[in-house]
Amino acid sequence: MKAYRKYFLKKLSWFAITFVFAFVLNFTLPRLMPGDPVAAIVARLAQGMSDASGVQAIYQQYSELFGTNKPIYEQFFIYIGNVLRGDFGFSFSQYPRTVADTLKSSIFWTIGLQFPAIIVGWIIGNALGALAAYLKGGFDKVLMPLSIFASNFPAYGMAVIFMVIFGVALEWFPTSGGYGFDLIPEFSWRFIKSVITHYQLPFWSIVVIAIGGQAIGMRSMAIYELNADYVKFARFMGIKDRKIIGYVFRNAMLPQITGLALSIGTMFGGALITEIVFSYPGLGYTLLNGVMGQDYPLISASTLLITLMVLLANFTIEILYGIIDPRIKAAQAD
Amino acid sequence: MKRYIIALNALLVLTMLLSACGPTATPQIIEKTVVVTQEVIKTVEVTKEVQVLVTPEAEEGALPRNETLYFNGQQWGTVVGWNPYGSGNNNAMAIAAGDNARVPMFETPYLYNMLDGQMYPLLADGPWSWNADMTEITFKIKPAAKWNDGTPVTAEDVAYTWATHVKYNTGTGAGNTPYIQDVVAQDAQTVVIKAVLGENGKALNPLAVAAYVSSNYVAQKAWTQKLEERSGGDATALQADPAEDVAYSGPYHNFFSDDTKVVLIRDDNYWGQDASMWGKLPAPKYLAHIIYKDNAAGSVALAKGEVDVSQQFNSNVNLLWESYGLPISTYLPEAPYGIGASLPTAFYNLNSYGLDQPAVRKAIAMAVDYPTIIANAMTNQSATFDQVPRSLMNPTPGEQALYDHEAVKDLQWAGNDIAGANALLDEAGIVDSDGDGWREYNGQKLSYIATCPNGWSDWQAAIEVVAAAGKKIGIDITTNYPEWSVYQTVVTKSDAPLPEGYDIFMMWSAGAGPTMPWGRIRNLLSSEWVGQASNWSGNWGQYSNPRVDELIVAIPGETDMAKLKEMYTELVEIYLTDIPSFTLMYRPQSFHTVNETVWTNFPNQDDGSNPPVPPLDCTDGWGIACLYNITLVNP
Repeated sequence: MKAYRKYFLKKLSWFAITFVFAFVLNFTLPRLMPGDPVAAIVARLAQGMSDASGVQAIYQQYSELFGTNKPIYEQFFIYIGNVLRGDFGFSFSQYPRTVADTLKSSIFWTIGLQFPAIIVGWIIGNALGALAAYLKGGFDKVLMPLSIFASNFPAYGMAVIFMVIFGVALEWFPTSGGYGFDLIPEFSWRFIKSVITHYQLPFWSIVVIAIGGQAIGMRSMAIYELNADYVKFARFMGIKDRKIIGYVFRNAMLPQITGLALSIGTMFGGALITEIVFSYPGLGYTLLNGVMGQDYPLISASTLLITLMVLLANFTIEILYGIIDPRIKAAQAD
Repeated sequence: MKRYIIALNALLVLTMLLSACGPTATPQIIEKTVVVTQEVIKTVEVTKEVQVLVTPEAEEGALPRNETLYFNGQQWGTVVGWNPYGSGNNNAMAIAAGDNARVPMFETPYLYNMLDGQMYPLLADGPWSWNADMTEITFKIKPAAKWNDGTPVTAEDVAYTWATHVKYNTGTGAGNTPYIQDVVAQDAQTVVIKAVLGENGKALNPLAVAAYVSSNYVAQKAWTQKLEERSGGDATALQADPAEDVAYSGPYHNFFSDDTKVVLIRDDNYWGQDASMWGKLPAPKYLAHIIYKDNAAGSVALAKGEVDVSQQFNSNVNLLWESYGLPISTYLPEAPYGIGASLPTAFYNLNSYGLDQPAVRKAIAMAVDYPTIIANAMTNQSATFDQVPRSLMNPTPGEQALYDHEAVKDLQWAGNDIAGANALLDEAGIVDSDGDGWREYNGQKLSYIATCPNGWSDWQAAIEVVAAAGKKIGIDITTNYPEWSVYQTVVTKSDAPLPEGYDIFMMWSAGAGPTMPWGRIRNLLSSEWVGQASNWSGNWGQYSNPRVDELIVAIPGETDMAKLKEMYTELVEIYLTDIPSFTLMYRPQSFHTVNETVWTNFPNQDDGSNPPVPPLDCTDGWGIACLYNITLVNP
């Protein structure tokens, strides 16, 4: 147990250091982009204003308000204050909304879409990959090319194909939005049904790609493990196939779990384009708009969120690894 | 055996999943639709109508299709607030003050009509008038005009709105104080706008003063005081207030908004049903705007009948009815489909080497293939320069009548004139002296970068055509597309010369409005913008001509039409001679495409309305009259 605690603390301190660096980079990098975010806001507000002094007044007001006219270290401390307060400050592009408010309204749509899609894709993909490795023959010959095809498809390509076939041509599913264009959110069967219908196309366009990628990875890992010495040895020992397969998949699973953790960690930025294609009210579009509009606080908050998710996912995995695979713990604790 | 059952199950799952990607014969399906003939088209319409009838009536939580008018292309992103004093509401359906102010929720004293250039009273009673000395404008407020709480709209509301804009230095306040000294309530109904006076003792800029009455909302004094109280007199807090409780006088108000849509609901007690205004309520109970993520999503929804009024660029809009047989139409049945109002323009950086020579500027502008720009970038949704020869005016008849067409005829060009451009350059001695295929000016090769923001596909298509024109006349023009965030920062910084890479660049010009074409010309040519650190007005190429400045100052005070025409003609002459910038296409004020599956009787060229209802999406200026004219296809 002592070894495990040492392993745990060591990991934790490394993640803390990584987080501090990531935090500073999250703040700095967006601000290194060329261009002036306040100018973009002024552009929107100054439309139809006939007098130049009015435009200058607005420019001054917003520079002051967002602190973009202050030195960068001062801005950093303002940013830390905003993060600690929990609202991440005003969003430049959606002022006077705060960043937290902006993210809050879209994050549930993204989690609701991405998390199940990643999990379903991961489970089906791994099951299929393992089966392909195990059964070989015809099944493998069909699955492999299909998986390669699907996994190499860009997410937006799959989204557009699904939209054209199932949305436009067959009209089975709606092409845009998170729920019916003629509905107002409420707790009713009609609304829930509408949400489910709107969910299908973005969901499956992510799942199909995920399945392909996971299946390929799992298949190679499983084939590798199936040919490992311990498997042969176990067979000679007369251990039951079922038992051996259990060992094989547990070993083949390790890299797949890392993959899963990373997918979950990066899910906020992951299917950004799928969300855009289907006008899905998720975080993807908010983030894209933030980048296009040089909304520093929004970019910083989103990337901070992604950083945290990746670190957290990785940390959890590292800790779990210690339990799943004692070799790692032993090696690290030395 | 077990192995095979597992395999079989897995195969089943796989087939179910992959059957999705199976029949990838997308183009074929589309082709079939395209081939459908006119007769079949009728059938399609009927199917759509049936779908509408099937839609359940007034169900809980739903917006009944035949009580809702759907929009696209106005609202992008989530609504932030409902504050008529705010500058960052991002609330396109409710708040868009300006030349053609959007008036479903907040109202202006007058409604501007871009088709006839007239102002029609809304909150106001009868026309406004200047006093004899031309120092102030007087108008009355309609006795029938009421706020949503039933209290009357008074002259005091108008005056207090102005005072608040000035006190808190809002955009409206800062933008108008150079021309308007004060707005006062003479009595409960009478409003007097006092102009800032010029040296001659008359209003410094009568155009800007008059435009105020149709471009700015009237807010309720009582609510404004409440707002001031809760913002503690802080200007930033006042303008950032989301104002969910705002008082309004218009026929619609906030009903629902989230990340996917914004819905306004009709106020059935709206004062405008009084005989002194519309005499009835607007037809739709709800105005709903779905927030589409891009034009493509919006176009699909329009085609599916989920959008009734589309204010977005639908590329090849005519195919929607010609090929797909959908009940979709535009203001004009043929190209250019809409009324051009603004002039997207290519600016020359007058400090770039060689571009200080009018011959070079004119040669490039003459060589550009405008028909290709109009066909590609605008999919013919712009008048050509053969139909509307270039000047500083938009294609509306009112503006076209303001200059002497004969006088400038020799200066106008329709483009694609390679021989003419070559001759012009040869004559100016700008020739290819070293035989490398490119012309030199004083021994230095003429080489430019033409630019516009990345991803603005219509502008990029136009800039490519400009670059191609250069190559045809021996001037090396390459293209570069920085991101908008960078582009706008560079272009609007007019207190320093433009950096390298911005020799020829695209920006917009003003559309239709009560101060036009004067306001547009001022934006395009006035030297007052040169030296501004944040210049969102115009003249980004930093052109300067004292005579032009003189005319721009003089025009607003001129009332003699003949003299005005003379002055405008002179400005057009100077513009077409000096060519500090050149128009690439005409663009409508709003793209106004309608789907008549549910609603019909939208404004169109032959609708016989008098005064004519402009194609401004049933929401802007006099265009809101559309809401009182539309009817259900299946009542």
